[in-house]
Amino acid sequence: MTLTVFYLLSALSVFSGLMVVLSRKAVHSVLYLVFCFFTIAGHYLMLNAQFLAAVHVIVYAGAIMVLFLFVIMMLNLNLAAEAQKTPWIKISAVILSGLMLLVLVASVKGAEELSAAQPQNDIGLVKNIGNILFDKYLLPFELISLLLLSAMVGAVLMGRKEPQPQNE
Amino acid sequence: MTDLILLKHELLLTALLLIFILMKLGKDISNSSFLKMSNALLLINFIIGFFGNQHGQMFASMFQTNELMALQKNMLNGGLLLISLSSSRWLNNHIHLPEFFMLIVATLLGMFFMISSNNLLVFYLALELATIPLAALCSFDLDKRQSSEAGMKMIMSSAFASGILLMGISLVYGVTGTLAFTEMSSLIASDHLTVFALILLFAGFAFKLSVVPFHLWTADVYEGSPVAVTSYLSVISKGAMVFVFTSVLYQVFKPMQEVMYQLIYIGAVLSMTIGNLFAMRQQNIKRFLAFSSIAQVGFILTGISGFSHTGAASATFFILVYVFSNMAAFAVAGIVSSAIGRETIDDYKGFYRTNPFLSWVLAIALFSLAGIPPTAGFFGKFFLLSAGAAKGNYVLITIAALNMIISLYYYLRIVRAMFMDKNETPIGSVNLSFNERAAIIICIAGILISGIWNGPFHTIHHSVTEAFSITPF
Amino acid sequence: MYSTPYDYLPMAIMAAVAFGFVAVTMAATHLLGPKRKSEVKLDTFECGIESQQNARFPFSIKYFLIAILFVLFDVEVIFMYPWAVNFKEGGLEGFIEMLVFIGILLAGYLYIIKKGALKWE
Repeated sequence: MTLTVFYLLSALSVFSGLMVVLSRKAVHSVLYLVFCFFTIAGHYLMLNAQFLAAVHVIVYAGAIMVLFLFVIMMLNLNLAAEAQKTPWIKISAVILSGLMLLVLVASVKGAEELSAAQPQNDIGLVKNIGNILFDKYLLPFELISLLLLSAMVGAVLMGRKEPQPQNE
Repeated sequence: MTDLILLKHELLLTALLLIFILMKLGKDISNSSFLKMSNALLLINFIIGFFGNQHGQMFASMFQTNELMALQKNMLNGGLLLISLSSSRWLNNHIHLPEFFMLIVATLLGMFFMISSNNLLVFYLALELATIPLAALCSFDLDKRQSSEAGMKMIMSSAFASGILLMGISLVYGVTGTLAFTEMSSLIASDHLTVFALILLFAGFAFKLSVVPFHLWTADVYEGSPVAVTSYLSVISKGAMVFVFTSVLYQVFKPMQEVMYQLIYIGAVLSMTIGNLFAMRQQNIKRFLAFSSIAQVGFILTGISGFSHTGAASATFFILVYVFSNMAAFAVAGIVSSAIGRETIDDYKGFYRTNPFLSWVLAIALFSLAGIPPTAGFFGKFFLLSAGAAKGNYVLITIAALNMIISLYYYLRIVRAMFMDKNETPIGSVNLSFNERAAIIICIAGILISGIWNGPFHTIHHSVTEAFSITPF
Repeated sequence: MYSTPYDYLPMAIMAAVAFGFVAVTMAATHLLGPKRKSEVKLDTFECGIESQQNARFPFSIKYFLIAILFVLFDVEVIFMYPWAVNFKEGGLEGFIEMLVFIGILLAGYLYIIKKGALKWE
């Protein structure tokens, strides 16, 4: 049963991932991406990581995708036709990404077992995450607040025109 | 909580960040008094950095510090102070002055955590903290199109680099099952997957260091950004990356030296050669300094490739020299750019007639970058090359030496333009403010003193040896 | 505290019902409702103002700024869930840790207010 669900979810996420790249309309890509995020959240649930799944749905599928939509709406897609790419660029891109895939597959295949890391099955529950976050992972946690703070300052700086440019 | 003294550098910067925000929240302060206050605060921060440094670990050993790291952080603190002093003219006229300090302190904080990180998760977060405000800083001249373009290119390329780095990190985690550096180094074996992960990690680092196949963003970002940010990017951000690179490389990936050596070798040769060849052709002084800094990274990699304490010490010493030399060069370029608004090399023809002091400063800085004795640059490069030579790869050293000769040509080209060439419309004479003069004099003193007195190098070498013997690797 | 995928069955059922309801309603209106097609009827807005362009035209960056700030605070709130669940066990220490986190972000929030980034002129 679990395996069936896994294959179903994987097929869906691969399909939607492909559709993100292949759709000609940007908004469709975004919608497929939302769908893709949902399937990935499903994967997290299967791994018993409910917190991650919730975060994935709330932050990625919810908030970040809104940003994506806004970006698409801000770009003037009427005028900008698809950038002209020479066949050479396309061919070299295909060759390079093919090589990358080959190397990745070969190196993963070579490793007999991934992991010293035995998955701890209940680490993904909200309570356990909270326990470890406020204890062992305190430093990264506080770093995040600084990161968010600096992102706020940067975003306000770039996104906002001064009401009246004052010359001093 | 006596341990908090270990976090001293980071806590100070966090406090500075919050103070800047509070200053912005309070009554509107004029730019010049804000600048005075922030310079004073940066100076205090720089001075406190020297006292009471201890070594130890915190936060479930995710954070570590030692004398060497404190020294490196002090160097970066000093660099930030120099930038703030030397670009006071530009800052004074900028409406977003408080934001400049908030963002620049935030990125420096990220770099400090990066240097002190003992865990890949902290390292990655710190790297982001160091990068994201930098992208905002690159587009700090909000009304200039080029500056926005620089910010855009910066954020795109660093997002891409972060992606690659993250992939490397997750593969490393998959292989070793831990994110802690200390545990990782004993678990790393050189199977294919680890090699692949290492290459990805190296690529991520190389992006930030602008080592040659990953350097394409450098010139555009350097050219478009305001000069203060360009000098920050090329000196401090790069310096911090070099520090992290050496400590991660020498400690975590010690078992994989051979693979690493190949990567560094290729990167060093390409960076030196291509950086130099492109630097020769540049007309814009910022672009020129961008390519020359790519070439300098090649030299740094040559030193690092030695895989010895001397290698780490020479790289650290070179960054010290580089802080002074590059900062002096950028200070002159920045002062000229913000006072007169001219940035091409041709504009510097006849510069000596109108600004003898600044010409001498720029000349000394360029001599130091080229590595001509008695400037500090000579010893910086000498130590790097001798550390690299310890491996016995004389091809690499020969290429490096040849590149030094090529670089002489283009550094001296500017010196010739300033002192010998005639120009009908030379850059008018520039009055230096107290801050600018102070920054320049500190830089020049630094270049000359560390060129004739080898005290700094020995201090660094000593603390490197000590640091590597303390940390349980 | 180990939970199996089966524990999510209620959620799966609920999701299925939610999607199913939408699908059924849409299909039903299509099948049951009367269809009158005329030019006016198919217009985007029926209020009498003729539409000017299609939907793809650039709009103000202000929306984007608000959206970015929303994401940042959204991420902040996410970290409150595990904290809230562990509130009792965390004790005073956990409370202080969260206070530092929120305090730093509060500084950012005050900054945003001061800059007037949330004002809609």
